[in-house]
Amino acid sequence: MADLKAQIIEQLNLQEVAPDSIGNDQPLFTKEGLGLDSIDALELIVLLQQHYNIRIANPDEGPKIFHSVRTMATYITENQTIKA
Amino acid sequence: MHIYINGTGCISPQETALGGPLLATPREYEQVRLATVDPDYKQWIDVKQIRRMSRVVKMGVGAASLSLEAAGITAPDAIITGTAYGCLDDTGVFLTKMVNQQEEMLTPTAFIQSTHNTVAGQIALLLGCNGYNNTFVHRGFSFENALLDAIMILKEGSAKNILAGGVDEITNHSFQLLSRFGLYKKTPVKTMELLNSPSRGTIAGEGAAFFTLGITKQPGAVAELSGVSTLYKPLWEGEVIGHIMKFLEDNNCTPADIDLIVTGRNGDIDQDEIYEEVAEALFPDHAEASFKHLCGEYPTAASFGVWMANAVIAQQEVPEAAVFFGAAPEKIKKVLVYNHHQGTHHSLVLLTAC
Repeated sequence: MADLKAQIIEQLNLQEVAPDSIGNDQPLFTKEGLGLDSIDALELIVLLQQHYNIRIANPDEGPKIFHSVRTMATYITENQTIKA
Repeated sequence: MHIYINGTGCISPQETALGGPLLATPREYEQVRLATVDPDYKQWIDVKQIRRMSRVVKMGVGAASLSLEAAGITAPDAIITGTAYGCLDDTGVFLTKMVNQQEEMLTPTAFIQSTHNTVAGQIALLLGCNGYNNTFVHRGFSFENALLDAIMILKEGSAKNILAGGVDEITNHSFQLLSRFGLYKKTPVKTMELLNSPSRGTIAGEGAAFFTLGITKQPGAVAELSGVSTLYKPLWEGEVIGHIMKFLEDNNCTPADIDLIVTGRNGDIDQDEIYEEVAEALFPDHAEASFKHLCGEYPTAASFGVWMANAVIAQQEVPEAAVFFGAAPEKIKKVLVYNHHQGTHHSLVLLTAC
């Protein structure tokens, strides 16, 4: 999950966020959490494609997959075919 | 109708964002590419938003914010920008990814931020301004056409306060390409000696200058924007001289009424020749100030010249670093900014003290 946090920070250019400061279960898209927005969601979809060769077939799954770093990691583990 | 410059803001290779006396401590460089002295942009832009902004967007937002602050206006009725190169850096990022990734898995941020009107759009988003928003991409006339549009809208009466400005950046890639065209000096020159350099080419620059224009004079206003005019590809110097005469006539004045001319000399012996011809024909005894040795050459550099002219009127003094010839009179009332970009785009901006 540490690698995934670093990739999220790089992809979203979160200049003042340290990987350790992102909690595994911290919500990514709420104000109380990391406060990401819809453009970030698109960036995270590209991140999954680029780094893990995963395409999200059903957009309705998005909120569940991108709820937190842990839910993303779980989704990657379940769906990863080739790691870039 | 009078159009007042109620506030200005400038981010440039000089410390223009700090405020204080004009060019009190000019920065001297010995290089062929000048970069802006960046203020702390976080004073205007939220950390979460700043991460998606390239340098040119930050420059534009910073200069626009300075201008609005100086005018004491929080919400202009319209935002008009001029830029020749637009968001070049993000355009490069996006196109490089397109090629490297064979047009797949492209990230949205670089695409969204790569359009020319991103600067005006970001300013509007930050201000919550839903009014007229336009960007002119007309090479060396981009800034001047933004001013002309602002003047027309104010004269129409559909806006009372307009934020207008010019912005351009230079990137590693564009500098390399433009260098191949022979635009820049082959060897570094001290910027304070640039205007007397006996060789071809100039120095590259970048920056943003914004103006809050209004039909009501605010306490901070020192000058009116009396006139703007452009001349494309004049056939010979006589056409430029005639155009300037006509422009002055249209603004009810003669060369004798001009207290200071501010020229866009850039140290290229070929390109500076026209300034000599114009000065000799119309302004032989006038004081002349120049600005491109301070900000470098770029298509919207005239915006720096107009910003400087406004500051000269405010201080009633031409800083030593900007003097090219002569001494300005004690009272500086009318300042004519004459600039050309690559010999093709000639422009005139007349400021009058108010």
